[in-house]
Amino acid sequence: MDEQALIEYVTRQRWYGAKSRMVSHAEVLDTIVLRHAEPQLSLALVEMRYDTGAHDIYQLLFSGGTEGVTFDSIREEAGIAREIVSAMRTGLTLQGSQGVAEFHPAEDFSALGRELGAARAVSTEQSNSSMIFDEALILKVFRHLEPGINPELEMLRFLTERGFRNIPALGGWYGYSGGPLTATLGLLQQYVAGAVGGWELALVEITDAPERFLDRLDRLGEVTAKMHTALGADPNDPAFAPEEPSVESLGLLTATVDEEIARVFLSLPDDDERLGPILGRGEEVREQLRLLTHAGSAGRVIRTHGDYHLGQTLLSNNEWVILDFEGEPARTLVERRRKRSPLRDVAGMLRSFAYAATAAELTRDAEIPDDWEERARERFLETYLETVDATLLPPGEAAIERLLAVFELEKAVYELRYELDNRPDWVGIPVAGIERLMRAAAEAL
Amino acid sequence: MSEQWFERDPLWFKRAVFYEIHIRGFFDGNDDGSGDFRGLIDKLDYLEWLGVDCLWLLPMYESPLRDGGYDISNFFALHPDYGSVEDFREFVEQAHQRGMRVIADLVMNHTSADHPWFQESRTEPAGAKGNWYVWSESDERYPEARVIFIDAEPSNWTLDQLRGEYYWHRFFHHQPDLNFANPEVQEAMLEVLRFWLDLGIDGFRLDAVPYLFEREGTNGENLPETHEYLKRVRAEVDARYPDRLLLAEANQWPEDVVDYFGDGDECQMCFHFPVMPRMFMALRREDATPIYEILDRTPHIPDNCQWGLFLRNHDELTLEMVTDEERDYMYAEYAKDPRMKLNLGIRRRLAPLLDAGRDEAELLHAILFSLPGSPVLYYGDEIGMGDNVYLGDRDGVRTPMQWSGDRNAGFSRADWAQLYLQPLMDPVYGFQAVNVEAQLRTPNSLLRWMQRFIALRKEHPVFGLGSYKPLPAENTRIFAHIRTWEEDIVMCVHNLARSAQAVQLDLSEYAGMVPVEMLGRTAFPPIGELPYLLTLAPRGFFWFQLRPEGQVE
Repeated sequence: MDEQALIEYVTRQRWYGAKSRMVSHAEVLDTIVLRHAEPQLSLALVEMRYDTGAHDIYQLLFSGGTEGVTFDSIREEAGIAREIVSAMRTGLTLQGSQGVAEFHPAEDFSALGRELGAARAVSTEQSNSSMIFDEALILKVFRHLEPGINPELEMLRFLTERGFRNIPALGGWYGYSGGPLTATLGLLQQYVAGAVGGWELALVEITDAPERFLDRLDRLGEVTAKMHTALGADPNDPAFAPEEPSVESLGLLTATVDEEIARVFLSLPDDDERLGPILGRGEEVREQLRLLTHAGSAGRVIRTHGDYHLGQTLLSNNEWVILDFEGEPARTLVERRRKRSPLRDVAGMLRSFAYAATAAELTRDAEIPDDWEERARERFLETYLETVDATLLPPGEAAIERLLAVFELEKAVYELRYELDNRPDWVGIPVAGIERLMRAAAEAL
Repeated sequence: MSEQWFERDPLWFKRAVFYEIHIRGFFDGNDDGSGDFRGLIDKLDYLEWLGVDCLWLLPMYESPLRDGGYDISNFFALHPDYGSVEDFREFVEQAHQRGMRVIADLVMNHTSADHPWFQESRTEPAGAKGNWYVWSESDERYPEARVIFIDAEPSNWTLDQLRGEYYWHRFFHHQPDLNFANPEVQEAMLEVLRFWLDLGIDGFRLDAVPYLFEREGTNGENLPETHEYLKRVRAEVDARYPDRLLLAEANQWPEDVVDYFGDGDECQMCFHFPVMPRMFMALRREDATPIYEILDRTPHIPDNCQWGLFLRNHDELTLEMVTDEERDYMYAEYAKDPRMKLNLGIRRRLAPLLDAGRDEAELLHAILFSLPGSPVLYYGDEIGMGDNVYLGDRDGVRTPMQWSGDRNAGFSRADWAQLYLQPLMDPVYGFQAVNVEAQLRTPNSLLRWMQRFIALRKEHPVFGLGSYKPLPAENTRIFAHIRTWEEDIVMCVHNLARSAQAVQLDLSEYAGMVPVEMLGRTAFPPIGELPYLLTLAPRGFFWFQLRPEGQVE
């Protein structure tokens, strides 16, 4: 395979994540043939090496033999996707030159047995490639490979075993192990057809039927609590067993958030009136943070969703389905698998209510009742706290509120920096969030 | 199975910040009064937060502990106080998961007298191990070889009553030197390395390497045979274990130390010993000349190699690599109490050496971090821990890490009396005053400053990879230099004086560029053809990035 052609092809792809880096070499590390009959279909691990000496490994799908290789056009991808699914069905092990690819069916997944019909590619994804069959199954192919088990696969398998039903069922998966690395290559899941995204639903209903959406949050709080309870329920699996955080954990968290606040406030423009309510109050925010973290336990840490907000939910037949357990894409796989307080997920969801309310106002000219966000928080938190395994949380309502406020502050400060850089029109959301937290913290203390 | 957690990068150590850990003193995970690997695992989150890249462990092997574990009695087992090999494997795995690498001390030169190899050698002179140590009927051989532990040992030879011969030891008499002239010994040591590399370790700090071989008519240091063997070790490691590091401890002058780099085919890193006392000297004399001079005297090293730089470590502040006059000066200034001296050095920690001066601590770290090399921090110095000069040998700088103001400094839940050493309790450096917990909470603490400073250094690969150019000025109280790597140009200016200073720097080469201060990101006036004037606070420093005029906001 021509190295230059390979570099050009890979760097053109949407899933190629290192666009700002200079590529010095590209090399096929291993090739696994999925189908020998013409047209031959294969997957390859390709190493992209940069001028700094660092490298990334990507998964490529292609057709053709040693000559006349063509890379994944949509039509060929569908063909390769079918081969992958059928390999999962039969539990194949295929040999490459440096390692093996193993394909696994999930237990009790009847849909895997059916004939695959019409396929379509999902066009909106960034880091993966997905193919949907018959609006019933979805095959996710991971492109940028990292050593270790993929958190999505790990989480889905675990939650399925624990009987948590509010996720798309896992159908199968495939992975590679060998010299270059050991990594999950992709997975097959139930595709939840006819569902509406939680974020889209929020925007519509906040505008048209704000009470109805609030009613739905009772159930979302409950489902979220059940997810956390399930994630913290197995003391014997080292990857999932709940742990006491280290003695320093609260101090380390405080120090990290504090540095971030200092950095963000240092770089705030003086003349942006949208920043008005928080301008020049960096030291006050830091003071609040110190007070919030001054005493108390941080509860236990468990595996969490990791990137939890309304955009990661679906409503299907009046039931919530939780999606995307991959964690924040910018973080390393190791960080995404780290155990944290479940309240970090909760904080993410609460921040997303603030975003939904403002987004409805901005994009749909909606008139939102002033207390909508406050009531959304209350409804969600009430059922969440009633349902969740309380031993995972810090003891007592005040301690929970304080830790939650720390995580919300962490998120809001991150949002502030992000919006200033990317969407100045949205800066008001984190500003209001930070202001709100300072007010609430002052009251709570 | 150990998983791969890093991108391949054979030069990782050039940009790394190292952190030296005394396992016994770090954290007690099983409440027996002594630190261990379970305890280390508990504190990995802290080390990750601090931002260090590589943990260097002091000797962890089975040992009678007559020399802090540098007297190894079994190379394939851990000291039982520290845990099992399985604990060690778990520790390495957990460190890797957090993006930190692990290297460990390894003593190749000698073993403990308790080692079964030595016992067999002395009881069966004609046996398989009879020739594994350096035996002699006379104690007159190798007279040119100096005695290193002059406070403890009268000679490098000690008579073994059982075998009726003298054995050779460059350090304590209970540490017989292995006979590297024997190919079996060479092979046995490679076996030791492979054992730990297979467990996932990222390299070794090779203790006392200059002394592996001895030959009549020489001082027994830095012999060609020694270099040849180290090259063989490197080749064996490279062949089977990518991205591993050999860091040599050769307490020698730079022109001799560079031989340990070979042509980039021996040790990747060596400690730069002589620069260390000169930083302290420069601070006391308020004069940068000693630092400039030693850097001028430092030869070029291969591109794939790196100096290891440090302010303090687990040993005494060694004064072997200074002149007699300089040594007298150092003793007079830094070791006023004779208890503070040990061998040719001063057994004190960083903070007491600086009289607990915060500005001085920041200044010395700034100089350390700015020099060409990879900095090595010593546990506890990031919070400004003190020492106890009333403890014997080097124990005074090896007291328990002070985690909090709680019982036993938060180091252990064992009984106070059961602790391997009691934590410091004096009013200035004691654990009530100096501890991690309190400093984490205090934004202006030394610890929080260190974390920010480590992060700053890591943002700029120039500190690890760049060239060094001194910027001597008429005002010799100022240590200024320029580091350059690709587009990144950094100017570091340090004021060694106790008083405010002005300095004029000839920066005409950089005319048209704008110095941007790196901690606060403040732009300074652009550089012109005339000398550039800077004023610095007492013991103050500036690090600037020099950027083209158009690129500064």
